[in-house]
Amino acid sequence: MKRVPYLAPPAFALAALVLSALIGAGAPAFAQTMLFKDRVEQCAACHGADGNSTIENIPSLAGQPEFFVMNQLVLMREGVRPVEQMLPFVKDLTDPEIMALAAYFGMRTPRLEGTKPDPALAQRGQALSERLRCGSCHNQDFSGDQQMPRIAKQRIDYMAAAMRDYRDNKRKGADTAMSAVVFGLSDADIDALAHYAASK
Amino acid sequence: MQARYLTSTALAAAVYAIGATLAIAQAPPGMSNIDKSDPKASKQDTNLRPHPTPPLATPAEKLPVDKIKLPAGFKAEVWSSGHPGARTMARGDKGTIFMGTRVIGRVYAITEKDGKREVKVLLQGLTQPNGLAFKDGSLYVFAINRVLRYDKIEESLDKAPEPVELTATYNLPPEIHHNWKYVDFGPDGKMYVQVGANCNICEINPGVHGQIRRYNADGTGMEIVARGVRNTVGFHWHPQTKELWFTDNGRDWAGNAGPEDELNRLPKGQEGANFGFPYCHANGVADPDVKRPNPCAGVVMPAATLGPHAAGLGIKFYTGKMFPANYQNVAFVARRGSWNREQKFGYDVVIARPQGNGKARIEPFLTGLLDNQKNEFYGRPTYVLEMPDGALLVSDEQNGAVYRISYAPQRSAAR
Repeated sequence: MKRVPYLAPPAFALAALVLSALIGAGAPAFAQTMLFKDRVEQCAACHGADGNSTIENIPSLAGQPEFFVMNQLVLMREGVRPVEQMLPFVKDLTDPEIMALAAYFGMRTPRLEGTKPDPALAQRGQALSERLRCGSCHNQDFSGDQQMPRIAKQRIDYMAAAMRDYRDNKRKGADTAMSAVVFGLSDADIDALAHYAASK
Repeated sequence: MQARYLTSTALAAAVYAIGATLAIAQAPPGMSNIDKSDPKASKQDTNLRPHPTPPLATPAEKLPVDKIKLPAGFKAEVWSSGHPGARTMARGDKGTIFMGTRVIGRVYAITEKDGKREVKVLLQGLTQPNGLAFKDGSLYVFAINRVLRYDKIEESLDKAPEPVELTATYNLPPEIHHNWKYVDFGPDGKMYVQVGANCNICEINPGVHGQIRRYNADGTGMEIVARGVRNTVGFHWHPQTKELWFTDNGRDWAGNAGPEDELNRLPKGQEGANFGFPYCHANGVADPDVKRPNPCAGVVMPAATLGPHAAGLGIKFYTGKMFPANYQNVAFVARRGSWNREQKFGYDVVIARPQGNGKARIEPFLTGLLDNQKNEFYGRPTYVLEMPDGALLVSDEQNGAVYRISYAPQRSAAR
């Protein structure tokens, strides 16, 4: 997917048309339900004004691959990945709004928030990561690609919780490959991986 | 009696031994903690990764139907579109095509009206409902870890009825990876169900994972019909021999050259046979990472190999009247296409022509969706379905569309 630069709200209606023509729409309506600026503010309330979350267990969106954000928002809207806190926001998101939000957050600069990585843990995480081949999907620099999220500079608490959910079959609507990768890992392994990813 | 004289040390040792057994028993049954593949030994580009499947459909005018190439006399056209994640297809008695998906979590109902197709989202929010089968008016839906039966479904396509939950009866293993289902009713009336290996390459418990099973339709009477199967996502029965043929996807990260995917045949009377995973792949290739002596001893060799990382999925034997006579009882196999290979491979539909000796010859059929020079693909065929008129439907997961392949004899002037 090509990167779409941030578009000011007045330009958005046109952009939405262009995007929908490029990507096509699924079942949902085309209508824009609120100003794009207000949509961004909705997201920013939890995910950070610049897409870097300062709230525990809320992931940062800054610098995420556009496809990743687009895909996850669609899956949340579908109910495939039900995230309670997100339901009120995603239920009437249109495809063009999703595309624009994904593009907007993709352009923000990622910055690590929350717990700082522990060097010894990160080192252990690096060895594990090489064995588990995290970089094959998430990119060697962990910047993410297409459906695979950026994990570099992501919040440690969020990543550790997400990996535990994958391991314990609590993460719904996920790519099954992640379930296989974290299968049988201990909490300590997971913490080490989270510290390493955050440190990149 | 020796037991009388057990010292406290011996008791402690005994307790320790029991403890150790328990610790192992607590690990998931027979599962390796970790993928056994050796990243360095594969010598592959470490950046290889699965291609994304768009959750939104390709607009009809952008579908790659013009790129499709077929043997002379065959024609491809768009049959339906606008249903992201198009994969499995099962036909109802009244002609509804039910379509299963993976990540998008939907089951579609596609009906025909005035020569056009109408697409309804019948179910949504399921976890990878890839397994669909239709029998006696009921649609069976197998999501990962969930089995549902919708009775009289074709009478209520606008709003699916409350399903009968069969999850507990089928009692399938909870592991997620390689557990999106393929299911179908066999000629014996039993429901055949895939249970994949929960890893790329690891030791598995052959009593739990890496199988094809069959059940009574209500989920009772489970029997294991094939073992050592890494991940089959398609099977069908030969129209004459009634033997089960199934695709099986080979392991990743053991090189660009394979091991190749398999097209297997379960010989009659050999229910429960071993197909080699994780020790023996393809035509007798020993696994480089999970080793044991005589890895291929007692393993049923494939009827044919389907190519390296080709991702052979759907298979159907053709018995229709539309195609030429030499297509009778040959199998069409959709190959979704590679990810763990630097030079892409597959993205097509091939023919598997049984040779009478249990083996099959693979021939090209539907091509053109892979540009070898650019190393780019335009679509991913996943499943095939023969229609009552003898045409063949091919689903394209990448574009959320179905193509109809038909045949009309060519006039000699056109040759």
